[in-house]
Amino acid sequence: MNIKIEDTSPIGKYEESMPWNQIEKIILERRSIRAFKKEPLPNSMLRRILEAGRFAPSAGNSQPWKFIVVKSPEILAEMEKDAVKMIKLFMFFMDYTKGNILRRLYILTYAKWVIRFMKNELHPVPMGLMSQIAHGRTLVFHGAPTLILLAEDRRGVGNPPTDIGICGQNMVLAAHSMGAASCWIGLIKVLMYLPKWRKRFGIKFPYQLNNCIALGWPSPQADATVPREVQLVQWYEGGMKDAPRIERQGE
Amino acid sequence: MQKLSLLDRLRIPTYDNMMQMQTGDLIFDEMKCRQCGICVKICPGGCLVTNSVTKMDIMSGKEKGTKSGVPHVDTLKSGITLCIACYDCGAVCPHKAISIKRNFNPGYFFKRLIQTSEMRYPKNY
Ligand SMILES: Cc1cc2nc3c(=O)[nH]c(=O)nc-3n(C[C@H](O)[C@H](O)[C@H](O)COP(=O)(O)O)c2cc1C
Repeated sequence: MNIKIEDTSPIGKYEESMPWNQIEKIILERRSIRAFKKEPLPNSMLRRILEAGRFAPSAGNSQPWKFIVVKSPEILAEMEKDAVKMIKLFMFFMDYTKGNILRRLYILTYAKWVIRFMKNELHPVPMGLMSQIAHGRTLVFHGAPTLILLAEDRRGVGNPPTDIGICGQNMVLAAHSMGAASCWIGLIKVLMYLPKWRKRFGIKFPYQLNNCIALGWPSPQADATVPREVQLVQWYEGGMKDAPRIERQGE
Repeated sequence: MQKLSLLDRLRIPTYDNMMQMQTGDLIFDEMKCRQCGICVKICPGGCLVTNSVTKMDIMSGKEKGTKSGVPHVDTLKSGITLCIACYDCGAVCPHKAISIKRNFNPGYFFKRLIQTSEMRYPKNY
């Protein structure tokens, strides 16, 4: 479903149940796109996208980010190759969902302990994705012609990962508003186990690299709205002692 | 609202066990599907396949992906899918042939607490 641009509401106004405005249209229709045309976005457009990142809010205005643009096809190919290699290695030790029964039972004796200690990295979703990558069923960087790496300055104010998320999403939305396609890639983290890549990108204290954004022209154009889960939202509107009202957001 | 019990907190689910995990699933309308292969190409994990074509066949240029059958969600031996219910396939489908059957909700330790199983499009309040 696409929101028609002719039907959008003016910016800077609100009336109940008015049509979406153009900012909301970009937010709601943005999809992570994982199929790109070969030719990269022009440099001027990348600079424009970076501007959206440079002007993101950050705790204490600390701007704890460092942008690294990677366009070299040679480097991109090498990154993909090494990321797949690392993921294959991890999955050799951790993937109990594939292979013969003996292998699976053996891995299960320790896998859940490892998952407990790396609950975010080994959550079922990335585990499934890495299993697919290890078996050659999908790619890490989706063949994107450009990556913007978002290094985080760990000395930032408060909680720097929040700032990185905001900054990156600013750039993603700017990119989609200009017809480009993007996908966040958290799996770039696996490359940081290799000193080779930390050195190549200059990732050492105070910097840390957990995320990057793949950018390019979509092939095909795939931005459109999707259904998402109805959320239970707590509304506190009464007094100190009153229980919150639970509202089903989106229904 | 759901709660995470102590037992939930202690138990990591077995990722390929259907009793412990709910993964996404899709319904393909065979009447509407024109077998263009676009959904197979854009699925994040390469979990959508037809009987003869996978995502990597299309990405590598080996196959075009057209006219190779109605896609389906790939399943592991245990019957579980790897679908995370992102529905990017449904957003891209030019013929509105895909509908979503259920959301992604892992069990025990990873159980989601405030997300319901109802899936809705954006609502302009
Ligand atoms: C921090 C972050 C990291 C992500 N890492 C990956 C990744 O490594 N690979 C990938 O294919 N998608 C990645 N994604 C994209 C999500 O899978 C995607 O946002 C989610 O499925 C929802 O789909 P949508 O973006 O189309 O709404 C990432 C998203 C975020 C926010």
